Amino acid sequence: MSIAYKEQHVHDALPETSHDELARQHFVRSFKEHLVTALHPGLKTAYEKRAKPRFVAEHQREPQSIQEVGQVMKQDSHYQAWSSLLRTSQEMMWSAAQIPVERAIADLAAQAAATPKIGSLRLDPDLQIPSYHTAVDIHCQPGGYHTEYIDNDVAQGAIYDRAVYIYAMGQMGVNNADMGDSTVAWLKQEHPDFKPTRILDMGCAVGHSTLPYASGFEGAEVHAIDVAAPMLRHAHARASSMGLPVHFSQQNAESTDFEDNSFDLVVSHILLHETSSAAIKNVIRECHRVLKPGGMMLHVETPPYEGMEPFDTFIFDWDSENNNEPFWRKSHLLDLEALARDAGFQSHTPIQIMVPSAFQETQRSNTFQGGDFGGGGVWFVYGCQK
Amino acid sequence: MSEGPDEVTLQRKAKGKRPFYFSDPDVDRLLSMVMALTGELSVTRDRLDTLERVARAKGLFSASDIETYQLTDSDMEERAARHRAIFKEVTRIIVGELEDLEDRDEQDYRAVVDQVENDG
Ligand SMILES: C[S@@+](CC[C@H](N)C(=O)[O-])C[C@H]1O[C@@H](n2cnc3c(N)ncnc32)[C@H](O)[C@@H]1O
Repeated sequence: MSIAYKEQHVHDALPETSHDELARQHFVRSFKEHLVTALHPGLKTAYEKRAKPRFVAEHQREPQSIQEVGQVMKQDSHYQAWSSLLRTSQEMMWSAAQIPVERAIADLAAQAAATPKIGSLRLDPDLQIPSYHTAVDIHCQPGGYHTEYIDNDVAQGAIYDRAVYIYAMGQMGVNNADMGDSTVAWLKQEHPDFKPTRILDMGCAVGHSTLPYASGFEGAEVHAIDVAAPMLRHAHARASSMGLPVHFSQQNAESTDFEDNSFDLVVSHILLHETSSAAIKNVIRECHRVLKPGGMMLHVETPPYEGMEPFDTFIFDWDSENNNEPFWRKSHLLDLEALARDAGFQSHTPIQIMVPSAFQETQRSNTFQGGDFGGGGVWFVYGCQK
Repeated sequence: MSEGPDEVTLQRKAKGKRPFYFSDPDVDRLLSMVMALTGELSVTRDRLDTLERVARAKGLFSASDIETYQLTDSDMEERAARHRAIFKEVTRIIVGELEDLEDRDEQDYRAVVDQVENDG
């Protein structure tokens, strides 16, 4: 089985890649595909035939938790090989995306600065980067989202933009926009009368998910925030080159300078699992504060663990111990109803649904995570109306 | 382009202790190097592939012909198929063990030696 090949849309903010640099990136993409299609299925076999019987022999019952599955799977040679290769593929992905950016870092900064701009960009050099981002480099991007090497640096943004495409093996569309596209499509279908005129995207990174709101809700004023300056600079140049006006600002989603009751729609995409127990509460409270009464909060994530088989949970949880995602596990085990209620969302029941992916062109691998982000064909959406 | 004393070197190791998976971490290190080597081999093979395509298309070629050759999605499909063949070869040991697990109950090798040594 293979996943259809389609190259990323090359916009003006991406670095030029030489022949061999591009070939190196394509190799990583194929490496990941091989892990997903050829080695991932064997994990289940190894569990059923080798690891689980070992646990049952010792305990006279089946494993019931991530920890119990882990006890026996971590000893299994196939799991060890798969994990070691998956971790290696992640490291090779970042390296392959870094090489062309490292070579042309100054040119890229100049190019982003010179791009004719629409929308706006407001940076805050004094903003403190939250400790949940400085403690480890999230999903192993060396330097995280925030590191700056030179003045007006866009390097981390340019690297992230390309790496996401390789990571998702193109399964989030040529603009990596599937999470935004899917949510906009769902909103239009389920709430055809909802016409947001002021929209906020929190933790926008390079704006992959932001732009669908700018193109999908014509005339709406779209704001997007992130703590990381290199992401925002790249995002602004990228959105401008694609002809979509967005107002980017460097702010912490836990506490923004937007006015109370000022947005119809507040969204985030895979932000929450990269925060912390304290921060997630602050973010939801901030969503409540800036939303107009009747406004909508929507957070796109991967599905919670509740109701999943112990083996599937263990595999799905791989990132929390192996890919520098320290809040991944806890964020998938939260009481989301209580989280919304405690943040002030008390008039409506929170939404917790699976939204179909808008990106249907490719054959999907239909595995979720385990190194195949975007392959699931659905996104989990959590939110609430104010 | 920045060069010489101004050259910028990016951080290449993600902050955070790296997990190792095999009982001997040197196996993980070796695997990482093997995969890097596999990657470089694949890059080289891709370059040859482009060379051949360009040569065929033009009758002769230059380095800049190679740099500017635009890969189509179907070129990449073909390349991805070759990557699969390389992976099959390189991960043979792992997939082979799985085949044993799935389809065969391999006898202990020592028992086979015992059997052939002592059956007559
Ligand atoms: C996985 S990326 C988000 C990807 C993006 N939303 C998309 O869909 O393409 C997480 C982003 O959230 C940002 N971030 C993390 N915590 C934040 C916070 N408290 N406030 C604002 N941004 C934050 C990070 O800097 C990073 O760019």
